[in-house]
Amino acid sequence: MADNRTYDIRSILEEMRQEYWQGLAESEESPEELLECVTFTLGGETYAFETIHASEVIRVPKLVKVPGVQQLIVGIFNLRGEIIAAVDIRSLLGIPSPQLTAGARIIVIKRDGFTTGIITEGVQGVVALPLEMFEPVVKSVAAGAREFIRGQINHDGRMAMLLDIVRLLESPELTVNHD
Amino acid sequence: MATKYLDIFLKEAEEHIGSLQNRLLVLEKEPGNKVLIHDLLRNAHTLKGSARMLGFEDISVIAHRMEDFLKEMEDGERAVDSAGVDLLLQGTDAINRMTDALAKGAPSPIDLEKFIAAFDSGGSTAEAITTQESGEAETQIDTVRTSVKTLDSLVNLLGELIINKKRFEDKTSDLKEICRESDGMDNLARLKDFHRNLEEDVLYLGFIIQQLHAEAMALRMLPLKTITDGYVRMVRDLSKSQGKEVNFEIVGDHIEVDRILLESLKPMFLHMLTNAVDHGIELPEERVARGKPRAGTIRLTARHEGNSVAIEIRDDGAGMDPHRIKQTALRRGVIDREEAEMMRDEEALYLTLRQGFSTSEIVTDISGRGVGMDVVKMSIEKVKGNLTLKSEVGAYTEVQLQLPLTLAVIDALIVTCAEQPFAIPLSYVQETIKIRAEDISTVAGKEVISVRNSTVPLISLAGLLGLQEQKALISGGKVSAVILKQRDQAVACIIDRNNGTSEIVVKSLGGQLKRVRHTFGATILGDGNPALILDVPDIFTTSEGVSSVDMRKAIHESQIRASRGSVLVVDDSITTRTMEKSILTAHGYDVTIAISAEDALEKVATAAFDLVISDVEMPGLNGFQLTARLRAMEEYREVPVIIVSSLSKDEHKRQAMEAGAQAYIVKGAFEQGTLLDTVESLIG
Repeated sequence: MADNRTYDIRSILEEMRQEYWQGLAESEESPEELLECVTFTLGGETYAFETIHASEVIRVPKLVKVPGVQQLIVGIFNLRGEIIAAVDIRSLLGIPSPQLTAGARIIVIKRDGFTTGIITEGVQGVVALPLEMFEPVVKSVAAGAREFIRGQINHDGRMAMLLDIVRLLESPELTVNHD
Repeated sequence: MATKYLDIFLKEAEEHIGSLQNRLLVLEKEPGNKVLIHDLLRNAHTLKGSARMLGFEDISVIAHRMEDFLKEMEDGERAVDSAGVDLLLQGTDAINRMTDALAKGAPSPIDLEKFIAAFDSGGSTAEAITTQESGEAETQIDTVRTSVKTLDSLVNLLGELIINKKRFEDKTSDLKEICRESDGMDNLARLKDFHRNLEEDVLYLGFIIQQLHAEAMALRMLPLKTITDGYVRMVRDLSKSQGKEVNFEIVGDHIEVDRILLESLKPMFLHMLTNAVDHGIELPEERVARGKPRAGTIRLTARHEGNSVAIEIRDDGAGMDPHRIKQTALRRGVIDREEAEMMRDEEALYLTLRQGFSTSEIVTDISGRGVGMDVVKMSIEKVKGNLTLKSEVGAYTEVQLQLPLTLAVIDALIVTCAEQPFAIPLSYVQETIKIRAEDISTVAGKEVISVRNSTVPLISLAGLLGLQEQKALISGGKVSAVILKQRDQAVACIIDRNNGTSEIVVKSLGGQLKRVRHTFGATILGDGNPALILDVPDIFTTSEGVSSVDMRKAIHESQIRASRGSVLVVDDSITTRTMEKSILTAHGYDVTIAISAEDALEKVATAAFDLVISDVEMPGLNGFQLTARLRAMEEYREVPVIIVSSLSKDEHKRQAMEAGAQAYIVKGAFEQGTLLDTVESLIG
């Protein structure tokens, strides 16, 4: 037992060697870290979040209003027998809310015991964005909105904002509990 | 030891412990029953043997002592009395605790030496219990709980099937309609045949679903007995500890209810029975002095009543004194003096259900913890049931519970309010009525109506829910209202429309909308869209002090409008028809809406309109065809028709005129003024 605690040069060297090889293998696999994101339009701009959070994209079905809840919960809809609320997060981000057109889509997000639909003006697609290209969100964006934006990226000549979707979903404005 | 053997032993022990307990309680009432004593002996003996075989020496020792004890009773060496039964029950309890501990892998909670010493001396064995388990261990219902998940998903899927069947039914009636209208088509005979066959298939499907549903529901059902058995013991122990004599009778415990309901019934039963013993049944001397039998009776009765279960708990004790209740309520600040004076005696009983109320003058060990009947009230509301209290001072107290059989599927009234569908559980619906302006009067500025000789507050459901009220859309001088009831209260809620009753599948709103005021879930209607289910107790709470405003005036105005001219608006687009309707209604016309040409033809058959406004492109017949049909009808030959369409070519205008329309408005150039001018020029 005493041996294990003392200075053991051999095991330390072994550890260092392993770390070195591991690091080498990793850098070979991914020269730059890419973030696979779904991109969509909100307030006329492009926003994105990691595809792993999105479970499906659907057209905007008939939304049934829920009385007495905050405005950003637009209504509920039926997704194959499950009742899901659709939320309009544009007010939360403090961006303009143009009328939805036929191109509008809902991105369904499934989390632990919590399924919700994010209303978007349209879904653009799935792209791999290099993580290191992201820059911190500019300070001119209101602090309340900055909380939900992890950064912006100039991708193919267009700005895209990376949403912190996990944080957004945890925000109390998104849930209702009148108890 | 292999868990297999342990499991077998635990199952066997559970059975014997259960029958020991039940038989001992009977023995107390029938001390001369030798057969019963012998059965008890066999229970104890078997337990002893099995425990010894598996090496559970402690259990075996206690079972052995009980066996000896029973043997002495059988041989007449020991009196069969209440004290003896008490001791045997304590032995049964001890074994129960030990097997529970075994099941959980916990150490034995009984100090054997102390227990035996107490048992032999005939004293209390309470000190021998080393660890207190937390709460009641209802292993039986717990083991079932895992499978309830599967059952729930089964019932859920069945719910989907029911909704799907409804869609099939709708499609079938659509097809019937198509057949009716396709007079002279080549394949009509085949189409009719197809419709008939489809109808039969859907009927059969419905039949199978109904059966399947009943079966699935039955799987979720358990007899009341599974929970009431435990209370026999509780009532006995509780009354004994207070020096009271109580006969506890249970009638109808074979009745089966949903497991989830059973769970919520448990706390209710606990409180009601504790109350009955604590506050209801008097001490034996008191009872004799009042000319009642020494022993009081508490009777729990359960029976089916239509689609619900009625449960009554009645005791022949002191009853509830409305004066004393009012005074206590006053003292605790639950009501004020004015309220107390106005309150009827029957109403006063319900004060006991309010928070912060407890009638007990002496705080007792069990029910005097500041919680009381309000727990019962909350539980009953949670399961959408009703509670009624009845009592006569010095004679009896009766609590009646009305519960739905199940919570997964309920009968509901579907209504439209602020253009949205809502479902109201039928158990809360008294009736639906039409209200005219003259039916409404005011009480201290609040609008009320008279329903079956009682005055009922009138509220606007849309207003109460915080939705947009659309008084301007009232037409024909009357509005629809649904009368909601809860206990002895009623309230009239104004709605847009009553869409009839339907069996609905209750679904949760999910994790995002955990609890939304005025609702307790949603259902999916036949058209595939959700509808919220209204929480009626919640509505009653909010409706206090609220009434509709200016409803009489609004209805009256719609009556006047009716004289300006009635217009039928035909359009398949909800936006267009709603817009047209609000423009016309706002200018004094009485507007009726049809969503298709077919719908319009049905409506003109039953009412006389002064003008028809129609779209062109609609599913089924188009606007031109509709105009031509109207022209062919005796009553509508002269009635003006305005075509409102997005088609702007002269060709279309010509077609409209040929069909017999008087005016043609292009939707692109659609302006409020144009429509109104045209309507006015045609019917003034």
